[in-house]
Amino acid sequence: MTDLMAARSTMAFSLGFHIIFAAVGMTMPFFMSAAHYLFLKKKNPEYLELTKMWMKGVAILFAVGAVSGTVLSFELGLLWPGFMKYAGPIIGMPFSWEGTAFFLEAIAIGLFLYGWKKMRPWVHWGTGLMVGISGFASGVFVVAANGWMNSPAGFDWVNGEAMNIDPVAAMFNKAWLHQTLHMQFAALQAVGFAVAGIHAFLYLRGRAQELHLKAFKIAMCFGAAASIAQPFIGHFAAQRVAVLQPVKLAAMEGHFKTERRAPLHIGGIPNAETQTMDYSIPLPGMLSFLAFNDVDAEVMGLDQVPRELWPPLVITHISFQIMVAIGTAMALIAILFFIYQRKNTFPSWLLKTIIAFSPLGFVAMEAGWIVTEVGRQPWIIYGILKTRDAVTPVPGMKYHFFLFLALYLFLSFVTVWLLKRQVAVAQRKFEVQ
Amino acid sequence: MIEILLFFIGASLLLYVLFGGADYGAGILELLPAGSLRDSQKKVINDAMGPVWEANHMWLILVVVILFMGFPSIFTLLMTSLHIPMVALLFGIVVRGCAFTFRHYDAVQAPQSQNVYTVLFGTSSLWTAMWLGIIAGSLNRGLIDPLSTDFHEAYIAPWWGLYPFCMGIFVVCIFAFLASVYLIGETENLDLKKMFIKRAFILNYLVVLSGAFVFAASADERTPLFADFFESKITMAIMIAATALFIALWFFIRKRQTLLTRTVAAGQITLILAGWYVLNAPNALLTAQGPVSFYEAAAPLATLWQLVMALLVGSLFIFPSLFYLMKVFKTGTTEEM
Repeated sequence: MTDLMAARSTMAFSLGFHIIFAAVGMTMPFFMSAAHYLFLKKKNPEYLELTKMWMKGVAILFAVGAVSGTVLSFELGLLWPGFMKYAGPIIGMPFSWEGTAFFLEAIAIGLFLYGWKKMRPWVHWGTGLMVGISGFASGVFVVAANGWMNSPAGFDWVNGEAMNIDPVAAMFNKAWLHQTLHMQFAALQAVGFAVAGIHAFLYLRGRAQELHLKAFKIAMCFGAAASIAQPFIGHFAAQRVAVLQPVKLAAMEGHFKTERRAPLHIGGIPNAETQTMDYSIPLPGMLSFLAFNDVDAEVMGLDQVPRELWPPLVITHISFQIMVAIGTAMALIAILFFIYQRKNTFPSWLLKTIIAFSPLGFVAMEAGWIVTEVGRQPWIIYGILKTRDAVTPVPGMKYHFFLFLALYLFLSFVTVWLLKRQVAVAQRKFEVQ
Repeated sequence: MIEILLFFIGASLLLYVLFGGADYGAGILELLPAGSLRDSQKKVINDAMGPVWEANHMWLILVVVILFMGFPSIFTLLMTSLHIPMVALLFGIVVRGCAFTFRHYDAVQAPQSQNVYTVLFGTSSLWTAMWLGIIAGSLNRGLIDPLSTDFHEAYIAPWWGLYPFCMGIFVVCIFAFLASVYLIGETENLDLKKMFIKRAFILNYLVVLSGAFVFAASADERTPLFADFFESKITMAIMIAATALFIALWFFIRKRQTLLTRTVAAGQITLILAGWYVLNAPNALLTAQGPVSFYEAAAPLATLWQLVMALLVGSLFIFPSLFYLMKVFKTGTTEEM
């Protein structure tokens, strides 16, 4: 394993790991606050139970998210000093705002978790909501910083130096809006389905059914609403990528030749040697339409750039297909959910499907990040700085990689084990009641 | 502009040492034998740290963000030359935060798993504090050499040695001392109170002793710290003031004046850090090629301006919230439900 590969892999799983916890940290407090709100309004103790159950989940996952986020802030320098040297002054601004938002989140979570008897009920409820709002804001800021890597703005690149730095323009780069929208909704989807799936499972087990049904409905309302909005946002995002990063789009779609009436490939594996898509179902003109709202529009292919500037095609294309497939299925399930909710009954096949989908939202989210990050390669700052020129000169990066891989695997294992214990204990408690 | 940022770096570091340091210290105290008081000590520490530890941890992130946005070359230099201690530090931070939260939120509070969390929390607190000290000690030795291509010279030598190691022990003692002083006022249990007082007393000596070792090691290594410290009237005055405050500290502990005791202990730590700043200012660190000054390493003005704005506006949100957090949990016992 080369040092570059080790550094890239370390960053990939550090981000991949953190994103799961960050997604929970920025969305689940909203579910919790919704349950808490219903308790304060209706005084039904089941909503209180539910709030506290979710609160414990949030506390565990938030802590892991906070420390893994700390690791990332160091890793920017530990792994990519060549990047931070240029990028720090330009995109530090969203990071400093993210720091502020996260600080507020850390304060609010302390208040909420420990403040049950210390504050007036509605003030206390407000601190819980504040956890969600500040978490959501920090997600927006940090994804905006990532947007800058895809669509650099706010500086002039003169002889390998950044001049005329404008941090505001860098933060509001051309990719920030579609990326933050896409990510925040993805988090709502993934966490909504995951939480709803867990409660659907417990509901079908036939214990404390009222409580689990309430929990299922709250989580699913968030998850389903986001799932229905997401295809539109995704379409908007793809159109932006078509303009801002045509090479990434070409890699996502396995689109080799620049042409009008470009086909959309369903499935398939891009073959870089023959420059064709193998085993795919092509839909003529659809890519042109999706990218530019016109079946005859010309879509740039990989042939426009030298081979060494191609991103890894197979990973990018397959990840993209996985994301779209899962996202589409989630949108369909979401529609069914709302239909049955109006009838106020949920057939068990629907509940079982949602249980099956509870991890898949996270899979889609990870796949989406792989598309964003791998699809930008070989660039770390698109069109400006190559990843290999930004990597740390420190040798032996594979040790760093294995150390943190072991740590994170261990933490994932313990976290899942702890959450299982939470669910089991809560379950027993209801049986006694 | 740069002065404002230096103020924020200094203040954040100070607050991290005072608040985060006390949290680390609490973990270290749990490693010491406590006999039958072990469980009540654990409860006091859990209650005292629970609501605030995540906020206390943020001061470090703030320093990191200010460095990488405002002084990128210092940030990259630190993360490259001190790669190994930084990774060790991070490892400790992750294990520590997780162990503390897991201990509290494990649905099954079985003794076996609780013991594992406690040992992990304690050892990782000690480990992390130690590496914080080692990193601090590496900054002014003049052994950081970004031009070297030799592995040992570039990545090991900057932090390997008696002086950084002594700094590590010094920081461990300071943190444990802060925690024991702080915890005196957190419990109504008289036996526990007595234990914390006794520990504060012992750790007080250890702080002085390990501080002396830092100077001895620095003299042995001929780091500039030793000579500069005794040449400067300001640093000498600071050291005398910090030592003199011990008399006040023990007076207030006897008189059971919780707030004043804490204030004096915090004052001592502030003085120690102030002495360190005075010696280093306006330099961030000393390399083999000479000192790296914050003024030379600063990002362009537009960036600094945005950073200062973010910090000032952020303070408007953060300080009232922090104040509220302290106010809510200052009075009475902390109960979760």
